[in-house]
Amino acid sequence: MGRLTLISRLAARDLRHRPVQAVLLLLAITAATVTLTLGLALNGVTSGPYLRTKAVTNGPDVTASVWPSAGEQPERPPSRDGLTALETASGAVAHSGPYPVASATLRARGHTVPVQAEGRDEALAAVDQPLVTEGTWVRPGGVVLERTFAQALGLTVGGRVSLNGQSFHVTGLAVTAAVPEYPGVCFFLSCNAYNGQAQASDMGMVWLTQAAARSLGTSATPLGYVLNLELSHPADGAVFVNTHSLAGPSSQSSAMTTWQQIQNADNDLVSVAQQVLTPGGWLAVALAIASVAVLAGGRMTEQTRRVGLLKAAGGTPALVAAVLLAEHVLLALVAAGAGLGIGWLTAPLLSSAGAGLLGAPGAPALTAGTAGLVVAVALGVTLAATLVPAVRAARTSTVSALADSARPPRRRALLIAVSALLPVPLLIGLRLIARRPRRALLGAASTAVTVTGIVAVLAAHHAYDLVAGRFDWFAGLSDPVSGRVSQVMAVLTVVLLTLAAVNTVIAGWATALEARQPSALARALGGTPRQVSVGLAAAQVLPALPGALAGIPLGIALFAVANSGGVVSVPPASWLAAVVAGTLAAVAALTALPATLGARRPAALILRSEVA
Amino acid sequence: MQQEVVLAMLAKEPTHGYELRARLKQALGPVGEELNAGQIYVTLTRLEKAGLVTARPTAGVQERPDRKVYELTAAGQQRVAEWLAEVSWPRPDLTEFHLKLIAAAAARLGDPLAIVDAQRRELLRRLRDAQRAAMAESATSDAALLLEGIVLRLQADLRWLEACERTWTTRRSQS
Amino acid sequence: MTALLSARGLCKEYGKGDALVRAVDDVDLDVAVGETVAIMGPSGCGKSTLLHLLGGLDRPTRGEIELAGSRVGQLGERALARLRRDAVGFVFQAFHLMDELTAAENVELPALLAGRSPRAARRRALELLDRTGLADRARFLPSALSGGQRQRVAIARALANDPAIVLADEPTGNLDSAATLDVLRLFDDLHRAGQTLVIVTHDSRIAATADRLISMRDGEFTDETRLTGGTAGSLGKLAGLEG
Repeated sequence: MGRLTLISRLAARDLRHRPVQAVLLLLAITAATVTLTLGLALNGVTSGPYLRTKAVTNGPDVTASVWPSAGEQPERPPSRDGLTALETASGAVAHSGPYPVASATLRARGHTVPVQAEGRDEALAAVDQPLVTEGTWVRPGGVVLERTFAQALGLTVGGRVSLNGQSFHVTGLAVTAAVPEYPGVCFFLSCNAYNGQAQASDMGMVWLTQAAARSLGTSATPLGYVLNLELSHPADGAVFVNTHSLAGPSSQSSAMTTWQQIQNADNDLVSVAQQVLTPGGWLAVALAIASVAVLAGGRMTEQTRRVGLLKAAGGTPALVAAVLLAEHVLLALVAAGAGLGIGWLTAPLLSSAGAGLLGAPGAPALTAGTAGLVVAVALGVTLAATLVPAVRAARTSTVSALADSARPPRRRALLIAVSALLPVPLLIGLRLIARRPRRALLGAASTAVTVTGIVAVLAAHHAYDLVAGRFDWFAGLSDPVSGRVSQVMAVLTVVLLTLAAVNTVIAGWATALEARQPSALARALGGTPRQVSVGLAAAQVLPALPGALAGIPLGIALFAVANSGGVVSVPPASWLAAVVAGTLAAVAALTALPATLGARRPAALILRSEVA
Repeated sequence: MQQEVVLAMLAKEPTHGYELRARLKQALGPVGEELNAGQIYVTLTRLEKAGLVTARPTAGVQERPDRKVYELTAAGQQRVAEWLAEVSWPRPDLTEFHLKLIAAAAARLGDPLAIVDAQRRELLRRLRDAQRAAMAESATSDAALLLEGIVLRLQADLRWLEACERTWTTRRSQS
Repeated sequence: MTALLSARGLCKEYGKGDALVRAVDDVDLDVAVGETVAIMGPSGCGKSTLLHLLGGLDRPTRGEIELAGSRVGQLGERALARLRRDAVGFVFQAFHLMDELTAAENVELPALLAGRSPRAARRRALELLDRTGLADRARFLPSALSGGQRQRVAIARALANDPAIVLADEPTGNLDSAATLDVLRLFDDLHRAGQTLVIVTHDSRIAATADRLISMRDGEFTDETRLTGGTAGSLGKLAGLEG
């Protein structure tokens, strides 16, 4: 017990002695744990709201729809026989419909958007009665809009829209569990073809009276039909779909969808966020490791003398390593707790299920598994970064530890020879790199990680822009998905940039500290303060360049992988150039500050061996 | 010239007077420059009288001491052996200077600090000379070693003089 | 003869109020071209601080310094650096050689910092190493050199840009007697070649070789001597040879 007290006391005192370093460490690990927590916590967050909506609206367990195949002669509307047969299939206990569904063009407030217009009775349906949250249900001359869709259009009750040229006024907004909320309405081919063009993935959902819907069907775009079924065993939706088929003549297409699939589609909105945050979280973790490694490694060398004292007083290498690690482990645990807390509190902001489902999802469940993983990652980051220096410090012989001889730099003859040919600031910078090449590598690695993250985000933006550019009706409409994705990516970018900035400051400060003697000597021998501070900055920027360049292909690859093997999006060269230039400029700026401050102190203070 | 030193230089074999002088000169280098020939022969005569050395004139030439061949007697050899085994060290004469300062202060004959400064300057001059001589010698000559010893002793004496200066300054400021 | 280095009323203070320490207190100094000046004093008397002020490594609290025609106090950091580069050669007690550079690379460093071509700098470095008797050690790292050799490399480095004045801070402080002799020989050569030297030391061996010897205590100059004239006794007497 005495040993534990000793360890904790030494650790606490050291943390109090250097609060700034402790705070920086904490910041680095916390940023990583927050990102990771968010990624993990957003798993399956909308299941609650979906089930609530389904319960309130008596949503269907299975929906079945038929519509004319694309390219077919549109004269004959599809047959409803297949649907009618399903009404009495084994396992189905209730149904509503078949309802006519028309593909129409909606014009409102300067937007032109394709919609699915479903014809309904004014009376309440037995299965899938969408819940009107504002206004009233369908009546002649009126249209009810799906709530997310209405928000995207900026429409409210009382507004006017035109469907295929016919004018309607908006009588109400409603939520439903029968289709995914906008813009996920069309998936699994349950949308009608629209003028023979490829499926648009962003049709809106509206409800009309049956007569109005039928009137919207034209020879060019005939009606389809949809049937809502309630099963005796809702969980067996997939079995039901497999055992019954809607196969009909080739002139019509059909599909059956279970409620679980619709729920997943609704989840997609959030899962996109998760898809971005989880790899982003690992990137943040990588950056955090780099920060911690530099900070902790630097502190380990400062601690050599403490190590010597502990050993001279009888401490075993194990005890010494324990003391060195204890403070970092403590910080890691605090950071894990902070990360879990912050992540848990902010997850609702990113996981709000959207307007199309009832109610906020509430705080995402913080399972023991998530918490355990985050703590393990925080500890892992810390140990990965501090284990090697701690063990090395603990194994230093007592005598050399007490003499406090820091590891002398190894000679790199090639770099030294090359640097002699360069102008003075680069000479200084290159020789500083030669003294601690491992730190230069670490700097290159963390720049690479940062640029990878930013490039991945840019690739995502570019990909969405490409998709958006293909269809006019995206223009001007606020797409909730891309809006959400932008929001999440913005958060991720901010986290990555913060971590990168912290990382650079730490590395720059550590380099300046380590370079105190050589830079003071350089000034004593006649180097101007500007040459020295530019040299210090160069020592950081030169390794950052290959790192930034390497980050470009890595970022593109990361997006391609995270996008589940979808489009390989290469952002425009101007964006990439801007990222590289911006990163290098930021590195230079962040290191210029400690460098200039260091260059102001009189060289004599650093070089004097004793006061005389 | 110390008697035992001359005896020791004769221990190896009987030596002519002038050879003896040459060996001494070589061992002392610049330090022995002012060594008077007469001093050596006076010492040799004393040793002869004491029965520790015998002098044999070489054939033909009389009277001139540097032509005589000197040789140790048995008593002389024994004296050399005893001398080699002695461990007394040349005595530095600090007591005289120390008393000089006290007397000057007590009897108001002079300012102790001025005396210290003057002595310091003198020792520094000697140090300068000894150092110049040392630098002129090659690193392996016998004389170089001797000169180093002189220099180091002067350094030690100068350190003591600095201590004297500190102490007497404090005494003056207290009185 | 105009002074190469001239200081008036130099003061360097640390701390405030009760904790005020005057490391250098109202010092005047003139050093002529080709002169060797030794400043002696016990540890803590401020002589190293004084040297740092004279070399432009630190700014005085009060007072003026004029070096090679420029008023040091009025120079900005960049001009000061150039002055240090071209006019001053500094020798530190702790040598302050870069451990990862060979002797030649250490010596050529000031020339490289001054912007000379690598070839010219290397040539000069080898010349200087030859002059200090270390021509065969040019490729050695400092860890492979003895203390005296390291100090000689440091002295060579101080001479790299042919400075007007060489300032040496306790150059033999960390050396044994034999190494001290080597360094003394070097300073003697430099003196004879006309180099102006200011040496700060508490070693009387060095002090004895100077043209002028200044004693310092508690930040002030207390005494100044010229060791002219012969000694009162011969070397023989010193050595204990009775006359």
